[in-house]
Amino acid sequence: MMAVSNLSSDVIPDSVMKANIAEIERVSLREVADVTDMAGLQGLRLKYLGRKGVVTALLREVSQQPPESRAQWGKSCNELKNRIETALEERSSVILASGASASLLKQAIDVTLPGRTLPRGGIHPIVKVSNEICTIFTSMGFSIADGPEVETDSYNFSSLNIPKDHSSRDMQDTFYVTDDVVLRTHTSPVQIRVMEGTNPPLRIISPGRVYRPDWDITHSPMFHQIEGFVVDIGVTFGDLKGVLLLFLQKIFGEDTILRFRPSFFPFTEPSAEVDIQCGICHGSGCRSCSHSGWLEILGCGMIDPAVFANVGYDYDKFSGFAFGVGVERVVMLKYGVSDIRHFFENDVRFLEQF
Amino acid sequence: MLISLKWLNEHVDIADITPDAIAQKLTMAGLEVEGIEEKHPAFSGVIVARVVDIEVHSDANRLLLCQIFTGTETVPVVCGADNIAAGSVVPLANVGATLPGREKIGASSIRGVVSHGMLCSEEELGIGSDNSGIMLLPENLPLGRELAEVLNLGDTTLNVSITPNRADCYSIIGIAREVAALFDRPLKEVSCELKQVESHIAEFASVKIDAPHLCPRYSAMMIAGVKIGQSPLWMRQRLEAVGIRAISNVVDVTNYVMMEMGQPLHAFDYELLAGGKIIVRSSQDGEKFVSLDGKERILRKEILMICDAEKPVAIAGIMGGDNSEICPETKTVLLESAYFNPVSIRKSARYLGMGTDASLRFEKGIDPNGVLTALKRAAYLIAQTAGGVIYNGCIDEYPQRVEVAQGIQLRENKMASLIGMVIPQEEVMRIFTSLGMECSRIKEGFLVNPPSYRVDITREADLIEEVVRIYGYDRVATTLPTFAAAVALPSGREKVEEVVSDVFSGYGYSQILTFSFINPKAVDLLNLPLADERRNFVVLRNPLVEDHGVMRTTLVYSALQTLRNNVYSGNTDLKLFEIGRVFFSKGIAELPREENRLCAVVCGMAFGQNCHFGKSPAGYYDVKGAVEGLFSALSLRNVSWRGEVTEPFLHPYRSAGIFVDEQKVGFIGELHPEVLARFDLNVVPTVLECSLDLLTELVQDTKKTIKALPKFPSSYRDVSFLVEEAVTFFAIEGYIAAANEQLLEKTTVFDVFRGKGVAAGKKSMAVRFVYRSSEKTLTEEEIKEAHERVLKALVQNSGAELRG
Ligand SMILES: [Zn+2]
Repeated sequence: MMAVSNLSSDVIPDSVMKANIAEIERVSLREVADVTDMAGLQGLRLKYLGRKGVVTALLREVSQQPPESRAQWGKSCNELKNRIETALEERSSVILASGASASLLKQAIDVTLPGRTLPRGGIHPIVKVSNEICTIFTSMGFSIADGPEVETDSYNFSSLNIPKDHSSRDMQDTFYVTDDVVLRTHTSPVQIRVMEGTNPPLRIISPGRVYRPDWDITHSPMFHQIEGFVVDIGVTFGDLKGVLLLFLQKIFGEDTILRFRPSFFPFTEPSAEVDIQCGICHGSGCRSCSHSGWLEILGCGMIDPAVFANVGYDYDKFSGFAFGVGVERVVMLKYGVSDIRHFFENDVRFLEQF
Repeated sequence: MLISLKWLNEHVDIADITPDAIAQKLTMAGLEVEGIEEKHPAFSGVIVARVVDIEVHSDANRLLLCQIFTGTETVPVVCGADNIAAGSVVPLANVGATLPGREKIGASSIRGVVSHGMLCSEEELGIGSDNSGIMLLPENLPLGRELAEVLNLGDTTLNVSITPNRADCYSIIGIAREVAALFDRPLKEVSCELKQVESHIAEFASVKIDAPHLCPRYSAMMIAGVKIGQSPLWMRQRLEAVGIRAISNVVDVTNYVMMEMGQPLHAFDYELLAGGKIIVRSSQDGEKFVSLDGKERILRKEILMICDAEKPVAIAGIMGGDNSEICPETKTVLLESAYFNPVSIRKSARYLGMGTDASLRFEKGIDPNGVLTALKRAAYLIAQTAGGVIYNGCIDEYPQRVEVAQGIQLRENKMASLIGMVIPQEEVMRIFTSLGMECSRIKEGFLVNPPSYRVDITREADLIEEVVRIYGYDRVATTLPTFAAAVALPSGREKVEEVVSDVFSGYGYSQILTFSFINPKAVDLLNLPLADERRNFVVLRNPLVEDHGVMRTTLVYSALQTLRNNVYSGNTDLKLFEIGRVFFSKGIAELPREENRLCAVVCGMAFGQNCHFGKSPAGYYDVKGAVEGLFSALSLRNVSWRGEVTEPFLHPYRSAGIFVDEQKVGFIGELHPEVLARFDLNVVPTVLECSLDLLTELVQDTKKTIKALPKFPSSYRDVSFLVEEAVTFFAIEGYIAAANEQLLEKTTVFDVFRGKGVAAGKKSMAVRFVYRSSEKTLTEEEIKEAHERVLKALVQNSGAELRG
């Protein structure tokens, strides 16, 4: 443009060069002083200092000059470039400090209003933790199995070594449909159903709803269990301890301390109740652990030979372990929920907290 | 079961072990101690004192003025009882003493005489029910000493939870045996020295067992010349500590021995037994019997009865009759100790609804060899506490031997492979011996004879458990099985459920879990016709409440209830979903059909109370949108929404059946206004129910393949047109499809408008047509021609009237 475009590629006289530099400086500094927004400022930067800018072109011209004047004019050009640069910088901070342009002000939003969001949905805490537990076991190579919730007396009891008219039936109150059909009181019948149809080795996990006629702050007539069992050659009680330790540490944290305590279940022998050390008092006893220092978390044991006999497995060849976890119990301990009934009242203000 | 440590200490020496240490060991041996309670006397400041002198109080005849020697001084005390005399040793509640349920004792002036404290009855001290007079203490008690201390009151009890297999632990001795084994201490012998007179029981009584399969063993002894009265304080204290109410000396002894040894006993008044005979037989259907609690029981067949020569006198093992029970006039006692068939006792007790301390022990199985020991112990204690003489001999009818498992093999290899470690031989032998089991070495391991009270030990597995239990579960090394690395994949349905949960929670739905049982009236509320499959309920025999009477056949009812409860709690904008099962009865011979379903309900504002959205009520299209999202995630195509297929509880013109591959998988729609009113709802919910089992089947064949992105650009044309209200978008899509235009890639409706500028009965629709070729960039001319062909088909088939 103007001054620069008049320059030929031939040798330029010093006087012309000097006037050109002065003119560029005058015009550019005026334009910089007049500009009011950052976009305009950016335009000026391109106009003068950009790759195709005025000063850049001038510098190119200088480079064509004879060596004796090249150094001097090169220096002058660089000084010009620096002055424009400085003017741009200064103007830029003035524009920024003056608090943006009026046109941007018109576009202002209230940044403190709540975001545009859809109401959050969520997975029920019982399902969430149940899935979490199943994932821990499937990652150990367990497969998921399923069974009916309305179950025969035989699968729910007799085949699990809980004969009719035996006092071990008292361990579980039962909803009856007929003399021979019940709502399953535990997920253990899945053990029988799977073992009847499959030969070892087996690694099974089976989550689901179970039913017992109790209803208070720690009992619900419907609740959730996860049954797990393994049958193979050489499965040991030590393995049972190891698998459950791994599982409970994944659920409750790496520093979880377990205790295996002898107990009785008709379908396992030896049987154990597993307690975790109370996280609130660390074993010294407090209100939430009834001053015992421990919290009951699940029942387990080595599969009873009578169960193997019922499904035609050879007790001398195979061994296995089984365990049953109450999902509500785990969620209650994990999240400090004190009333089991909340889970089935489904007040969204409760559900949203998980 | 409550265990008194004082009582326990009579059988095994535990004086130097803390209750906590005992509780800890028992718990870790499978006898979980659920609580430890220290019991202190309810009084304080009561001392032993002696009556020196008594005179009638001058002002009131019924009051006595006593001079009481406290061991250091003599003080005046006014008293209203008349069972004391000079020399009586009595409890004196000093000034400042506390008695249960009373204010602190102060020095009082009773009709002009100062009384320095109060003489107490057992009832006033809270240690018995006797309120007939002042408690008379043994004369050799040291005067001035604290009563609680000299009577050795106070005890600690453990509340032990006993698993159903440990029948042997329902007694003090049972727990004592465990404690002895766990602390490696000997059991103490209890004294049972019988002084029998010459008269032989056989001269007076006889026992005949008519039902030996129900009553394998029945033994009896007789004590004559007893005097019925209160039991001694120590016995009453023991019984109270373990939760048994004291009644009278003879009855208390039977309870005492049951609690101590686990053998239930029954005492008959011999004079009330016709012919001095005991006949054990089965009951008849409809037979009536009045038990000693005064209630008439109607019997059925096969309930074991104890009878005399004329009539039944007890329901065996459960409860005695009021026609033969011990009464204050009883002189001669016939004492029963028997072994009854556990299953029979259990059935009878259940049938009669009479669970007693005795039946509980019989049904779990008592020690068949302990019958006589307990009988003798009780006879001894009756003679000691109620006086009388024990007749010579005892009756012991034992027609059917009760089998006790003997010679059980324990293979060391099996034990090691089951536990995962080897427990040394000597340790195993020591454990068996400490548990009272005879144990010898054989080639493969051990041969074990359990004691007769361990009715739970019959197999090798039982022995292994005993060894590990005493050895300590915590000492078994923790290992990890060497599983193959294969990771199991979830089954089809789990996968579908996972997608459903992801999609619906992503669309803002909260997952709920509701009970699988509902009120059978739900189907009436939902207008279901009589022939509807959803009336085929699985009915519960013993529901907790009427609302839980049947297993549900639809998830809609529970979801609506949950929605209503939330609305009533002030949660107005709701999107809920549930994954659960429904149950359809297939008659009593078969298990019901179970089906996994998805249900969703919405109401209120679709986007909640957010300032950036307008007020857009949640309805049909919100739920449909979520279902479309689900089907897309499951790669289910060929979906149709048919307004003519609906449900009786849905709005007939705002609902549809959902079809995938021409198969009905569910329904969606607004609740019918009538049903709405029945649910007492002031919001209008939209519901969805869909079979996940069907979706799983349909999904399994569909494999998702990802298409390459198009190479050439597309162009679109927007058109708006008027059509009759009844023309659905589905129909319009069909008309357009009829043009079979290859270049038409996609048709979307982006506006539907009624009202200003649109004639009544018509609607304006705005549709975008997208054109693209997979081979080249289309020219304006090509697009124009294709668009004209499409519009022609639309106008011809639907009667649409194009607008600008
Ligand atoms: Zn604690």
